[in-house]
Amino acid sequence: MRAREIHAGLHLLDRQVVRASSGRLVCKVDDLELTGDPPYVTAILAGPLALGPRIGGVPGRLMVAAAELLSPQERPEPWRIPMHLLTELGSAVEVGGDPEEPALETWTRQNIIARIPGSGTEEASREQPARHERSPAARLGAYLDKPVLDEDGTLVGNVADVRLRQDGPLLMEVQQAFTVAELIVVPHWHSRLFGYERGPGGRAPKLVSALIRGRFAAARLVAWDQVETSGPDGFRLNVPASRLAPLTDLYEPDPRRR
Amino acid sequence: MKKAFAVTLGILTAIGGFVDIGDLVANALVGARFGMSLAWVVVVGVVGICLFAEMSGRIAAVSGRPVFDLVRERLGPRAGVVNLGASFFVSLLTLAAEIGGASLALELATGVNYLLWVPGVAFVAWLVMWRVKFENMERVFGLLGLVLVVFAVALWALGPDWGELAGQLTSPPQAEGAPTYWYYAVALLGAAMTPYEVFFFSSGGVEEKWTREDLSVARANVFVGFPLGGLLSLAIAACAATVFLPVQAEVETLGQMMLPVGLGLGKIGLALVILGVFAATFGATLETALSCGYSISQYFGWQWGKLVRPVEAARFHTVLLVTVVLAAALILTTVDPIMVTEYSLVFSAAALPLTYLPVLMIANDPDYMGDHVNGRFTNALGTFYMVLLSVVAVAAIPLMLATKAGQ
Repeated sequence: MRAREIHAGLHLLDRQVVRASSGRLVCKVDDLELTGDPPYVTAILAGPLALGPRIGGVPGRLMVAAAELLSPQERPEPWRIPMHLLTELGSAVEVGGDPEEPALETWTRQNIIARIPGSGTEEASREQPARHERSPAARLGAYLDKPVLDEDGTLVGNVADVRLRQDGPLLMEVQQAFTVAELIVVPHWHSRLFGYERGPGGRAPKLVSALIRGRFAAARLVAWDQVETSGPDGFRLNVPASRLAPLTDLYEPDPRRR
Repeated sequence: MKKAFAVTLGILTAIGGFVDIGDLVANALVGARFGMSLAWVVVVGVVGICLFAEMSGRIAAVSGRPVFDLVRERLGPRAGVVNLGASFFVSLLTLAAEIGGASLALELATGVNYLLWVPGVAFVAWLVMWRVKFENMERVFGLLGLVLVVFAVALWALGPDWGELAGQLTSPPQAEGAPTYWYYAVALLGAAMTPYEVFFFSSGGVEEKWTREDLSVARANVFVGFPLGGLLSLAIAACAATVFLPVQAEVETLGQMMLPVGLGLGKIGLALVILGVFAATFGATLETALSCGYSISQYFGWQWGKLVRPVEAARFHTVLLVTVVLAAALILTTVDPIMVTEYSLVFSAAALPLTYLPVLMIANDPDYMGDHVNGRFTNALGTFYMVLLSVVAVAAIPLMLATKAGQ
């Protein structure tokens, strides 16, 4: 059986996280935590400390600064849901277990909402478990938009999405981890493919599809073993650009077009 | 039988809920200045809102995801936050205008200055959102809004020259310049297609736990209720065209907008129209305030909605509280509510494509929709509207500056 393959940006990032037992909304997948080489996903990261860097610019930095200022911890880390709790990946990401409550929810409840009559409170104020400090880990959001240079140092493009394959190490003996398998590289600085890189389905309406597909006619697929080094400045490959597979090779050609 | 009742009730709610302060102001202003020559824009707007409301309702029923979830998921955090800022700003302006409208209706009913009513209206609106169940809330104010049918009755009682009204459909008055004409066209389109309507409609679908079985009910609401609501908008414009256009009078206040009903139906008509305007604007106050809460909560992934007790959606209810206070404060600065409405319409027209593009994309995504993806006809129409809305979005602000907001 082939391992399940998903696109990190399309299928995981920015999706709603839902508690499997009650259907309650937990958070968004603001970023993914990576470990190892080849890197695999160990946790879903959420909260302003994960979202801020992905928004970037002044608003993103303000968001991070505000969260760091208000956090009681010395070196605050984003809120984290371990990947082995993931139970389903659909239009929402379902997680098992009982994730702790975000600080802002607790604060607004205790200081504003619970004080208003009729809020439905029967305050059994939940003790917040002390968070253990962790060393900062790599994040998948940091890969997106990074430049990719081939072995001669010529620019191939920028990372538009990351393909993950569920063939990594076992997490808590529950399920296999999603490993970084390939990078989708697009020759534009900032580009999203909006899901139109999948085929053969999902290519309607025609005008939108044509506009977006036109942008990734020159897109390339970089396998992780073609990456020589990765760093904050981007990726350096160990092959020339001409050896990279075009994105369209990824899928069977649309049978309707023959 | 029970299903027929549910469908009828839903349709009536949709008609009553369709008209808000934006539709009221835009149609009355346009009717008085341009006669029926912009009626085609109302038709275009109604078809557009039907199209995208149906898509977002279908997505909500099949995948359980409301519109702002889709915006964040498909556009990403960066473009998503831009859209959030724009939509929140527009919804807040609209909320302020609705609170102003409801207060003005109370002033007309009691003679007490509207500014004294603003805090009360805001407080009661908040109380309704705090305590009343979603379905009851939606139905009571939707059905009360149906009283606005008096505009149609009044039009008939006024006995206008129907031939002349029909003649206006194709010939705009010569006195008005082309930029002003197009400026009001943009405002009318913004009134019919305001983004908060799809936020509210799809989030409401999630709150009422729609499933695939509810799709037919949702479609009936949209395809019958919204067009009938659009007819109501046209009746408002026709009333203004009959009374004000021949004497070249400009409509500036909410009272003047209701005047044709008084002329046609006397005191009882006037009482009914005040009640209808109050119900419509108060209902829309709830819808816009909730939309502010929905969009922020859905962008950040917070627990939202009225299905859970307020303590379990503390951030959502905090946003509701803060937006209602902000909007009431804006109206209390004595800024003219009618002017706030006009600006909110134009800004909303400028923000339309960012909201409707992800809806169109996800309605075509088989991962979400399975075999409920858009058909060819819906896609052809959807593509046409995306092009149209992009043009409108680019033109909206320059037109506003060029015409000094329609003067």
